[in-house]
Amino acid sequence: MSQRFQRLLLIIFSLLMVSIAIVLILLNSKENISYFYTPSEIINKDTNNKNIRIGGFVEKDTFVKVSSSLFNFNITDNNHSIKVIYNGILPDLFREGQGAVIEGHMLKQNIFKATSVFAKHDENYMPASIKNELEESGYWNKNY
Amino acid sequence: MSSLIGFLALFISLVLNLFLLSSIPLINLSIVRFNFLIRISAILTLTSFFSLMVAYVTSDFNNFNVFQNSHSQKPMIYKISGTWGNHEGSMLLWISILSIYAFFFSFSKKIDDKLKKQTLLIQTSLHILFSLFIILTSNPFLINSVIVDEGLGLNPILQDPGLAIHPPVLYAGYVGYSIIFSLAIAGLLQKEKNNEWLYLAKKWSLISWTFLTGGIALGSYWAYYELGWGGWWFWDPVENISLMPWIAGLALVHSLLMIKGEQILKKWIIFLSILCFSLSIFGTFLVRSGILTSVHSFAADASRGLFILLIFFLITGFGFLIFLLKSPDNSGKINLLFINKVSALVINNVLMIVTTLTILLGTIYPIIVEVITNERISVGGPYFNSTVIPIMIPGFLLMSIAPVLSWQTNKIKNYRYYVIGFILISLLVLFYSYFTIFNPWGILGLILGFWIIIASFLAIILSYKLKLNFNFFKKINSHIAHIGVGIAIIGITCSSVFKNEYQYNLKQGDEFKIKNNKIIFENVETSNEKNYQALRINFVITDKDRVLSTIKAGKNYYPTSKIITTEAGILHQWFRDVYFIVGEQKNNEWFIKVYINPFVSFIWLGVIIMIYSGFIGATKR
Repeated sequence: MSQRFQRLLLIIFSLLMVSIAIVLILLNSKENISYFYTPSEIINKDTNNKNIRIGGFVEKDTFVKVSSSLFNFNITDNNHSIKVIYNGILPDLFREGQGAVIEGHMLKQNIFKATSVFAKHDENYMPASIKNELEESGYWNKNY
Repeated sequence: MSSLIGFLALFISLVLNLFLLSSIPLINLSIVRFNFLIRISAILTLTSFFSLMVAYVTSDFNNFNVFQNSHSQKPMIYKISGTWGNHEGSMLLWISILSIYAFFFSFSKKIDDKLKKQTLLIQTSLHILFSLFIILTSNPFLINSVIVDEGLGLNPILQDPGLAIHPPVLYAGYVGYSIIFSLAIAGLLQKEKNNEWLYLAKKWSLISWTFLTGGIALGSYWAYYELGWGGWWFWDPVENISLMPWIAGLALVHSLLMIKGEQILKKWIIFLSILCFSLSIFGTFLVRSGILTSVHSFAADASRGLFILLIFFLITGFGFLIFLLKSPDNSGKINLLFINKVSALVINNVLMIVTTLTILLGTIYPIIVEVITNERISVGGPYFNSTVIPIMIPGFLLMSIAPVLSWQTNKIKNYRYYVIGFILISLLVLFYSYFTIFNPWGILGLILGFWIIIASFLAIILSYKLKLNFNFFKKINSHIAHIGVGIAIIGITCSSVFKNEYQYNLKQGDEFKIKNNKIIFENVETSNEKNYQALRINFVITDKDRVLSTIKAGKNYYPTSKIITTEAGILHQWFRDVYFIVGEQKNNEWFIKVYINPFVSFIWLGVIIMIYSGFIGATKR
């Protein structure tokens, strides 16, 4: 085998591998991507039961412990709020008035069924996307 | 006082490095003096690091960094680990490790003086860049403007022995690639014809890779028992970016193996060296720049982010520019056959780079989408599982026999044994899963894992004379590493495919059954520990009326930071982990989640074997 031919073979092989990878990525991306919204954005949006994430704050005085594993609370960006139903274990840093990101789908207008809840992980942690949103809507408070 | 010493030491080492860099056009320092100054600079940097540690250990709240991240009531180990448990301190750790590597490299002998000097100069430039970054944007030695007698405390979730040593080990991996980067760039600049430096590169890349393996495993183990999510890998951006240099580093280690067959893809090796370090910087800094949103990232500061990006583009840009301008001609002839060692190594490298690209794409895809469409998305675990795993499978198939392939010919010695072995294993696994749980991914993973282990053992038995001395273990080292991978694959497959999850609402005295085990909710106890209050539920696990163990799971409350952490209770057994998490309580009824994670211990065992053979490999020439 000539060296040039070998090199050609190598390049073709790598291109083939890369294209397989890209095809796999494209095929999979639709189901594997979850969109991120704030409560104000989601309120008039039809999400077709798609898996989405909502970020905001746990609204004060809305947290209800229905049973040891079933919780209701509101997620707000200080403009609009969404009612959330969650069955499971809440993260350690979950508290009223603190930032949280929920993942799940809308049941009907304004009611969200969460499959997972993430609270901010670090004392200073704030997801960049929520921070931008809050700054835009003028509710950004340095102490968050 | 210690803050002042620390800052001065850091500053003097910066000045020293600037002097070293500027000495090149001005005065010709002898290599002996040059090495001496490099070592002095390393000692100064370490002095700076240990001064910060002293400030933490003595709870010197005059230091702003200590005030923000420590507390006098903390146990000693977390006072020490508090040094790097924050952004500023971890940057100081980064640069300390950078200078430790330079320190040890200055002692290496089998390299000509010119190349060594050039390598250390590049290392010096890196040192200067990162010192400037620390001094200008992340100074850990700032003095507190108010006088206080108590600190704010370290985030309790980080107060864990595993996480205490995780950052130094991980950084030892990341930063190790700096030496290989410097070596490759120096080689390019000098148009080095001699291939002797490749042996050094092989040694250092194995050391870095081994540390990186340990660091990632520690982080993963921490996530497993501290986060209480029942799993050990979540495809979070923070995890992904540590995995990228790991895989690229694996490709580098394997491409460097080709020195043995005297067939060297020099261009490729240099490319990988630059890539590994670029990915390492990307890894440490992208998280901190605030560009990536991760469930566990540090707080972001815009000015820092900009500076970091600047450094990243400077180093990466410089590296790849030199590569493009000065890359050597490939003079060596490559002997690619249908199946010989060279082609196996080439295929392995291609697969690993494609995997790295796939992970990179998935990780930065949200950033690209946000820039283009202004929509915010996140890419979840399913994407990575369905792309990365299929790409890796041919590589896994190949790795079982690759070490016994020949450099020159297409022949495999005793290939019949391997074929028979493969068929037997496949049949056994198929047969077994037909009667238990039939899951295609499970079958595939088990066949691959067992096949790699069996083929490696076959290869050892058929190709080497069995002896029980160190030399023999050095010889079969690559097989041992692959056995480690096989064991880890079995662990990964079983713990993700055959995992079970159970949920209960329980009162004291309740019992429930999982498979053959009866589990009793015995009692709830609370206690006061040094810096937290603990609540634990005792679960008694019995197997046919014989008590196996009592597992404590519960929560800790840290009054200093008013944070509650969940403490998972885990019963470790060889073939499965029983994993308890305690949720909320209402009317004395507790929400309990139990995971049965089969073969998780195999993952850690596999990793330990890989680390062992990484270090053994580094002692080999």
